[in-house]
Amino acid sequence: MNRTQEIFEKIEEYLNKTLSGEELENFEKELLINVELQKEVEKHRSLHRVLSDKETLVFKEKVKRIGDEIKKEKTTPVINIFSTYFKIAASIIVILGLGTLLWNNFMGGNKAEDLYLAYYEPYPVEDVTRGEVVNESRVITDMYSRKEYSKAIPEFKKLIEFSVDEQYIIYLGNCFLNVNKEKQAIQEFEKITSNSRYFEDAQWYLALTYIKLSNTKKAKNILAKIIQYDGVYKKVAVNLNSELPE
Amino acid sequence: MNSTEDHKIIEGIVKGDEVIIKAFYKNNLQYIRSYVIKNSGNEEDVEDVFQDALVVLYQKFKYESVNMSASLRTYFYAICKNIWRNRLRKNSKILLDEEVIEASEPIDNEIIDSINNKEREHLYRKYFLMLDSACKEILNLVFEGNSMKKISTITGYSEGYTRKKKFNCKRSLIEMIEKDSLYQELVINPEKEKKHE
Repeated sequence: MNRTQEIFEKIEEYLNKTLSGEELENFEKELLINVELQKEVEKHRSLHRVLSDKETLVFKEKVKRIGDEIKKEKTTPVINIFSTYFKIAASIIVILGLGTLLWNNFMGGNKAEDLYLAYYEPYPVEDVTRGEVVNESRVITDMYSRKEYSKAIPEFKKLIEFSVDEQYIIYLGNCFLNVNKEKQAIQEFEKITSNSRYFEDAQWYLALTYIKLSNTKKAKNILAKIIQYDGVYKKVAVNLNSELPE
Repeated sequence: MNSTEDHKIIEGIVKGDEVIIKAFYKNNLQYIRSYVIKNSGNEEDVEDVFQDALVVLYQKFKYESVNMSASLRTYFYAICKNIWRNRLRKNSKILLDEEVIEASEPIDNEIIDSINNKEREHLYRKYFLMLDSACKEILNLVFEGNSMKKISTITGYSEGYTRKKKFNCKRSLIEMIEKDSLYQELVINPEKEKKHE
């Protein structure tokens, strides 16, 4: 079924019982003979029924967050910051000039890391089924949805070479972010310029990348830009900004 | 229901107490992980089964009166195992561990029915939570029954933009759900869905 804004709105009006008169009559006639439309109406009906149960949704969100925290606890090695080993390792890295980053990680990093976990959600798969690369892009975005990020990286790179859709760049950046290649993630997000429709999305993930790196100063600068931009991320950017340490 | 400890845990789950839920999660994850992995599953399956079973438990105790003849842990394990057996059956995978769940872990038929009936619901929530915050906010307001005018006032966007954004978000959500192999199985083998009202 070709999904359009118009069809969605008509279905919603029908389900909300706000369709009336001739419009309702026509819709019901169409519904009687159009099996695809019947299926679509049922999808919307059950989606609304399930997702309007806010309490269960909030519970599920909480459980998911707890699951992520437990996973994170398991994969993060516990480091005794007073151990001799740590001091030696830290000194060497400071000497090598990478000290700032590491110190940030241990001194202000935990809070930033928690915030990253609390706010980061992989960029959702949407609007990527246009044009001639439909089938190929689906396979790749499916990989991404299944969180097979390492596998998806070379595929997105190839796709970006012959596609004008900048959304793939954000997916690629997200893949890098999920395999702990933050530097490459930054490079991708920075490719999206301010005249792109994905600029705000890219800036949001750029800010999160810097938070992951515990570079709160840089993150705050970007969040300020997002707030000023006054788009869809404004509210969440305000919240995140207020929680970031100065 | 058995012990005072079980009572406390159930109360904590129903109230959404994060400390209690986290402790319960940590204490029981390993057992479920072993079961799912041993029976053709991967880490993502473990996470899905465990979290979906917790949601089943939450809804059971929040919305219905439950008569548990076994301990909470036994009851929970039975839910997890039934969810996983159900999914394996749908994906035509083989269940290697043929232990008879019903014999060792008593579970009433009613809960088995509700597990079967809730598979789509789990998928809807799973993918909804994968949307970005802006989409979640708009769709939440839609599902609460707010008008477009009210939603645009709350979010601060124009009405036209809100409508477009809502359409894009909802379409992405439906498409993500449809791409899930479990959803495709559910479409081929449709089940009656049941409300928990």
